[in-house]
Amino acid sequence: MNLDDFEQKLQRQTLRQIPAEWRAEILATAGRKSKAEGRKQEWFRPSSLVPRLSTILWPHPTAWAGLAAVWILILAVNLSIRDKSPGVAEKSTPPSPEVIVELKQQQRLLAELMGAHDTRDADRSRPSVPSPRSERAEILAA
Amino acid sequence: MRGPDLRRLYDEHAQPLFAFLLNLTRDEADTRDLLQEIFIKLARNPDLLAGVRDERAFLIRLAHNAAIDLMRRRGTRDKTREQFAAETFSLFASGADPDENTFRIALAEALGELPPEQRAVVHLKLWSGLTFEQIASALDIPPNTAASRYRYGLDKLRERLRPLYEEIK
Repeated sequence: MNLDDFEQKLQRQTLRQIPAEWRAEILATAGRKSKAEGRKQEWFRPSSLVPRLSTILWPHPTAWAGLAAVWILILAVNLSIRDKSPGVAEKSTPPSPEVIVELKQQQRLLAELMGAHDTRDADRSRPSVPSPRSERAEILAA
Repeated sequence: MRGPDLRRLYDEHAQPLFAFLLNLTRDEADTRDLLQEIFIKLARNPDLLAGVRDERAFLIRLAHNAAIDLMRRRGTRDKTREQFAAETFSLFASGADPDENTFRIALAEALGELPPEQRAVVHLKLWSGLTFEQIASALDIPPNTAASRYRYGLDKLRERLRPLYEEIK
């Protein structure tokens, strides 16, 4: 496409130059951020776990060793207590035949009661037909 | 993994990106922030330019997206600041001829009145020397849209600057 005079005039206008001092600042900041990002990624890499742990533990090895010993002791005590104390299921003895008979009787009684309760409920749920006023008066008198 | 050569990228592309961003944002501090943002992105993502055929077009797209985001964030909140910045900023280098300087100031103002999407196309066509295909690729728009935006933008500039242009021609 050929440019007309006006377009050529616009095109000839010289744009401002980028400030020279920006170069060093922008590149330095970008480099810094890039390094920080690299360090962050490095921190999460498993291969660097051992050196990082040693860096953390190295200044006070005795304190960390003591802490580890305490934890081992707690674990040992916990395991020994658990082994000696019998469970609730182990402790209970099987019920005697009398108890079983008694339980079955109670179960039967409960089933009967439940059956009676259901019948009453069925009666209650039936829609009540209002009785004549004279009958209600008799009921009240009784 | 080897990172991109930031120095080379800066030396080859920072000047056109600066002018483009300055024309879009109309603010030098914002332009600097956006340019910094682009170079941080390049430094953080070393593979960003891997497989990119046209670095310039890719960087223009990054710059354009960043500028659009900034303008959206600004919204109407900073209208006053934007107007103040438009009055004080200069897009073009000043010369010895006072008539030409007056024309440059008027041109910068007229560009500021264009919608950003037209301003971006006009800038890339006139001062970055891109074809409509390249502009379309950089701004992620169809070439016909790029051409029509350029035509509309140029017509507005012509109308706005005609008296001054006729006078100093």
